[in-house]
Amino acid sequence: MIRMMGATVALLVAASPVQAGNSLIAPGAKILVAKSALAVTPASEWNKLGARPGRNSESWTLDGDGLNEITFYGGIPDGRTLFREVDKRNRPLPKVSGTMLITDIPALLESSYRIALNTPLMSIDSVEPARFAGAAGVRFTYSYTRPDSEVRRLGEARAAMIGGLLYMTTYEAPALYYFERDLTAFRQIADSAAL
Amino acid sequence: MKRLAVLSGIAFALTAAAPLPPYTPAYEPTGVDERGMWMQADEAERQMRDSPFVLRDPALNAYVRGILCRTVGQDRCQSTRLYIQRLPIFNATMYPNGMMTVWSGLLLRVRNEAELGAVLGHEFGHFEQRHTLEGFKRARGLGDLLTWTALLSPTLYSSMATSVIGGFYSFSRGQETEADLLGLAYLAQSPYPAASATPVWERLMAEADATAAGRKRKVKTHRYSAGFFASHPTELTRATYLRDAAAKANDPGDPAAAAYRAALAPFIADFLTDQIKLNDFGGTDYLLAQLAADGWTPDLLYARAELYRQRGNPRDLASAAQFYQQAIDGGFAGAEAQRGLGLSLLRSQQLEAGKAALRRYLDAKPGAPDAAMIGALVGQ
Amino acid sequence: MRGFFKSLVTVALLATALPTAAQEKTGNKPGFTLTPGTARIVLMRPSIRVGEQSTGGMFEPNADWTLQARDMLGRAIGSVQGQLGNSVVDLVEPVGADASALAEYQALFTTLADSVIVYQFFPGNRLPTKKRKGQFSWTLGPGVASLPGLKGADYALFVTTDDQFGSAGRKAVQLLAALGGVGITSGVHKGFAGLVDIKTGDLVWLNADLQMGGDVRTEEGAQKRVAQLFEGFPGRPVASAAGQ
Repeated sequence: MIRMMGATVALLVAASPVQAGNSLIAPGAKILVAKSALAVTPASEWNKLGARPGRNSESWTLDGDGLNEITFYGGIPDGRTLFREVDKRNRPLPKVSGTMLITDIPALLESSYRIALNTPLMSIDSVEPARFAGAAGVRFTYSYTRPDSEVRRLGEARAAMIGGLLYMTTYEAPALYYFERDLTAFRQIADSAAL
Repeated sequence: MKRLAVLSGIAFALTAAAPLPPYTPAYEPTGVDERGMWMQADEAERQMRDSPFVLRDPALNAYVRGILCRTVGQDRCQSTRLYIQRLPIFNATMYPNGMMTVWSGLLLRVRNEAELGAVLGHEFGHFEQRHTLEGFKRARGLGDLLTWTALLSPTLYSSMATSVIGGFYSFSRGQETEADLLGLAYLAQSPYPAASATPVWERLMAEADATAAGRKRKVKTHRYSAGFFASHPTELTRATYLRDAAAKANDPGDPAAAAYRAALAPFIADFLTDQIKLNDFGGTDYLLAQLAADGWTPDLLYARAELYRQRGNPRDLASAAQFYQQAIDGGFAGAEAQRGLGLSLLRSQQLEAGKAALRRYLDAKPGAPDAAMIGALVGQ
Repeated sequence: MRGFFKSLVTVALLATALPTAAQEKTGNKPGFTLTPGTARIVLMRPSIRVGEQSTGGMFEPNADWTLQARDMLGRAIGSVQGQLGNSVVDLVEPVGADASALAEYQALFTTLADSVIVYQFFPGNRLPTKKRKGQFSWTLGPGVASLPGLKGADYALFVTTDDQFGSAGRKAVQLLAALGGVGITSGVHKGFAGLVDIKTGDLVWLNADLQMGGDVRTEEGAQKRVAQLFEGFPGRPVASAAGQ
């Protein structure tokens, strides 16, 4: 019923296609990302998507976000969610806490994905200490499957709590072929992160 | 409208203990709408067979199927294929071609075979009454009306939309009531007691209240009239008419609680983990208390500790540490309890005690996937 | 993490694509040609859905139409490929673990095709790295060669069609709305066909159209649809089929 109403409304409104305004990220130059002081220096070119997942974040891709996607989170403060709420009333997302331990960061990402994508098939597969943006942080891997598609995706992330703010970058892509192909390029970008 | 549905439901209930209507096996769809819906359902089932969300454990599947068969009878149960899905929500679905899905969130929330049979019997009732087809025809008629109205009179549209949708849902509530009472008739014929449905809906109500309270939302005092957009009868109405009808059926029986607990035991920890990660503190804490009605087992204490540590307010961390300790004292098998205890204590600034617990975790599980990370926290 | 929001954008693009949103329809890997009479092509199970769109815009599946379309499209595909001198065989559907592997590749192909449509065929939304002249660089990866049922074949052909015919009521609403200046589409007729090189996994050709012609319920219409689906097919043009 809700879907039917949605279809009716969409037809009546007849929205024009979204003009996302994607832009080129040129290799070799240091650039600020996620409307923050977080800077990276990519060695190869990427596309920056016009649509942002949330206020302090941005996404890069090579072939479209379903095939490969890097997301930067530029200092998410205490009390804020990782990305935009999907259904705040019935499925509220967990919030960043300024007192989180770095081991709580993977758990926050896992719970946020499970709720936003409506899937229990999301797991953190490994966690280890790593420096990120000049601070002591965490590197972790994860995998998930959305309920509306059989594509299994793998992810890798680096994160740190710096001055009570969450800084993180994630890379995810289908387990078939794509994840492995661009993992090295992602790691180079993650290594280059600086505040 | 709804009152009418309830009244007709009660009239139906009076005959609930009477023999079930004759069942037609190997039904074939007729008519354009029905054949179209079966085709869609067949395609959905084709995808279900390869879906990574389906739990394929043979013992669990056989057990749940057995409960359905004992509830609705062997004849009826032969026409269904049952799929258990790992989805942490209270739900089961029935497709017009005989595919039934049972969600892990339902298995977590019922306490015995009879309660599960009551819910599965309700879903089977929709199938036997061919409700999906009726709902589909009704929805199409409504969509047509709304589109015409929107074009012809935009101002009328908003008021039409609410009244027409209200009509749709009370119709659908009528179907739900019918399925409830057919479900009750199955139970009355089964080895299970007919009074098994009521407690399920009562607990569902309380859980919804606990969820709302945990999210600082207003808790509605229960709900004689369903919300306008609720497609199911209010749980209170439901609990009431089912209790009345069950009393009339006067059908004692063994709800098989111990067998249910034993069969589900290997899966409960996973189902609880999925539930805890939903960021629903109030509802989950209520659910855990229900599961602990016969006492807090180490597994349930560990789950509760994880829930409190996840919310992470200072008092939550103190409670979490206490629950982890109780789970450990009670003989909790996994080293994860030491990990959770250590992290809770660290966040509470009890550094030495926290590091000691984390060291115990590493000693017990040196190859853990987060061993390096935890090692860094304790300074190893 | 844009997965959830992306699907909304995709839906918006697919659902409301009006004639004004100039969409390109065909992409070819540069330099790729298919020599007639040399290729062995495996047709993956086509996703075919046919029904009616009620006045309110709701999809009503129609089993008879779908079966007819499956039959007609299957024959039309076979005959078009026959004219190219290439052999087309239906994939023998595997069971068990092989079925899961196949399902995952089918899903990856859908993701790939969606990505081509959203990020290449719509110029306003095109990715800058996909804008270079003559570029068409999309792939499933070389792992596709290990799929069961594709041994010894050269190409895998994926076909999807989704048809929702406007009911009489829907068409009347469309007319009325046009008078009032409101854009309502009657019916949905979209489809895509893609050819994947099994040795490399590269997508050598994709044709996707959100507003297709041809009534797939009839033999003639199915031939027209297949001719449209195969527009720009590398190798010989299939104009002969369109004229029938």
